[in-house]
Amino acid sequence: MTATLPTQYPGFPSRLETDEERRKRGRRRKVRSFFQSLFSHAAINFIGLFFLIPFLWMLITAFKSNEDVFHTPPRWLPYDNVRVEVNGELLPLYNVQTESGVKQLAAVKIVEGVGTFVDPAHPDQTMEYEIQQGATKIAEPIMHISFRWQNFPDAMSRGSRPGIGASFWVYFRNSLIIAFFSIVGTLFSNTPVAYAFARLKFPGRDLLFVLILSTMMLPFQATMIPIYLFFNDTLHWGNTFLPLIIPTFFANAYDVFLLRQFFKTIPEEMCDAARVDGASEWQIFTRVVLPLSVPVLATVTVFTFLWAWNDFTGPLLFLTSPKNFTMALGLQDFQSQRSMIWNQLMAAATVFTVPIVVAFFFAQKTFIQGIKLTGLKE
Amino acid sequence: MEELRVKRKWAWPPRLPKWRYRERVNFRIGMLFLLPWTIGFLAFTLYPMVASFIYSFSIYHARAPLEWVGLQNYIGLFKDDLFWKSLFNTLYMVAIGVPITLLASFFCAVLLNLKVRGQAIYRVIYFLPSIVPTVASAILWLWILNPQTGILNTLLGYIGIQGPNWMSNPAWSKPGLILLGMWGMGSTIVIYLSGLQDVPTHLLEAAELDGANWWQRLWNITVPMVSPITLFNLITGVITMFQYFAQAYVFRGSHGLGYPLNSTLFYSVYLYQNAFLWLKMGYASAMAWVLFIVILVCTLLLLKVSERFTYYAG
Repeated sequence: MTATLPTQYPGFPSRLETDEERRKRGRRRKVRSFFQSLFSHAAINFIGLFFLIPFLWMLITAFKSNEDVFHTPPRWLPYDNVRVEVNGELLPLYNVQTESGVKQLAAVKIVEGVGTFVDPAHPDQTMEYEIQQGATKIAEPIMHISFRWQNFPDAMSRGSRPGIGASFWVYFRNSLIIAFFSIVGTLFSNTPVAYAFARLKFPGRDLLFVLILSTMMLPFQATMIPIYLFFNDTLHWGNTFLPLIIPTFFANAYDVFLLRQFFKTIPEEMCDAARVDGASEWQIFTRVVLPLSVPVLATVTVFTFLWAWNDFTGPLLFLTSPKNFTMALGLQDFQSQRSMIWNQLMAAATVFTVPIVVAFFFAQKTFIQGIKLTGLKE
Repeated sequence: MEELRVKRKWAWPPRLPKWRYRERVNFRIGMLFLLPWTIGFLAFTLYPMVASFIYSFSIYHARAPLEWVGLQNYIGLFKDDLFWKSLFNTLYMVAIGVPITLLASFFCAVLLNLKVRGQAIYRVIYFLPSIVPTVASAILWLWILNPQTGILNTLLGYIGIQGPNWMSNPAWSKPGLILLGMWGMGSTIVIYLSGLQDVPTHLLEAAELDGANWWQRLWNITVPMVSPITLFNLITGVITMFQYFAQAYVFRGSHGLGYPLNSTLFYSVYLYQNAFLWLKMGYASAMAWVLFIVILVCTLLLLKVSERFTYYAG
């Protein structure tokens, strides 16, 4: 006989389960957890593809040959023509349907659908075939998997427009210069401001801090036009890096906030001890607080680099001549001028992206910390 | 006696509260420390705000002197079809793009919070696209969304769906941009993820013991617990989306701004066009002020409405 239990509690078993039932329940749970983990693995992988494939596609396209870029349907690996040397020239091989069956011939030139071919075995004899007759292809290029590394030097050594005397290397250098000085400016200007908000007690401080935070809400568009006119027409700094660099020397809300949050975590007692020893606020700031803040300074450095490297609107407003373009501006210009060369465009985009990815893998924790600090605390 | 005190109360200049010596010293030191920001605020925030406010009431072409026209710019905005079009496009992105991205990033964060093998690698994969520079990712997606040789339509073709002509079809250009945005939502995911890690496990365990299933636990515990983070992501997302510019500027390719058929003519793009291509600085300044006020109102509205839906622990 099984023991009965009071049933007034909803969901309470009306009797104790038997061993057989308990085993069954255990099996059911195991089966369910198996399917749950199967489902979560499937979901995480499937959505992962959405993030991964475009990234890989950028790399794959960067290695494609000109012949392969516009192949429909697109191929998942980069292909290139098989080439043979004929009379000291590398010519692409074609499968051509001749009178005497299919032959492998090298194409000398293809003009308006008519190809001039040469048999690699008999290099002095040329023949002409139509590439396509109606729906049937007469000559088909022979392709093999091949990574075209040449796209990278090709893309980098040319500018965004023909004949401007500036290559992507120049854009790369310009981006680096702007990023470097932005980092210097940001570190020098934001740390003292953040220190004052974190450690100094004076009347009006909290009011000023609210004012700083409220400028985060201000759209750039609201101040863009006067700033542009001020730099361009008043100071005549148009087409120089100065309008992009100088503002970083005057602090900004995000970095002040980030640094202040960190400075507040440094034990007050350390500052007080220094104060008792007769240190001035400046000495406490430079000798006590800053040396303890290396992690957050790294975060600020990384994020300023990211921001400066990424910035598009600023360079678009101020940099007019191609020799001053940044990578972002140069890439956009390249795309709008010669939108067809997707393999070189993707090669340039890869070079543009690589420094950030490298920085990420070196400073993964710094990245995540920065996002959490600006995003969450307070 | 009574009268005297009243007089004193209204004295001009108003009497400042008596500061202690330490406060006075600190105030002076503090002002020195704040100097970089103070100068920056005056030069790059306050002055431009005042200046653009003045420009917005005048016709100004940068080279010629300012010509005062009163409210003409603002009245002109109301009669400008392109202004309304650009506002509609922007609101489309704010009302559809932001919530979809938010929902998707929450879902991704929940997935990444599951205990699966290789969790760290998945997190890197989900995060990596968000650090690809804006211009590079926009150009990449232009290539991906290419109707003939793009991989998205190819993949859709594998499962028998005929993909749209994304970037040349005015109905599909904005969804294309939303996809681009979702690809780079890694930082939102990270913020959600750190919020999920702060959800107290004892609550989840208690609910599980009481027989709540996965969905009930998610909806009744996790969602309320991360609601402040949702609010934060929502507000930053809305503010960012109102200023949407670089992606749209790149996405038109070699066509004119707003291609196709002004469907990607967002507010900031139209503002840029007015200010720097047509040199209508006054008109653009009026647009900037309208944008500022719209953002302000939206933020305050969200904060007000969210009071009822946000749960702050403790």
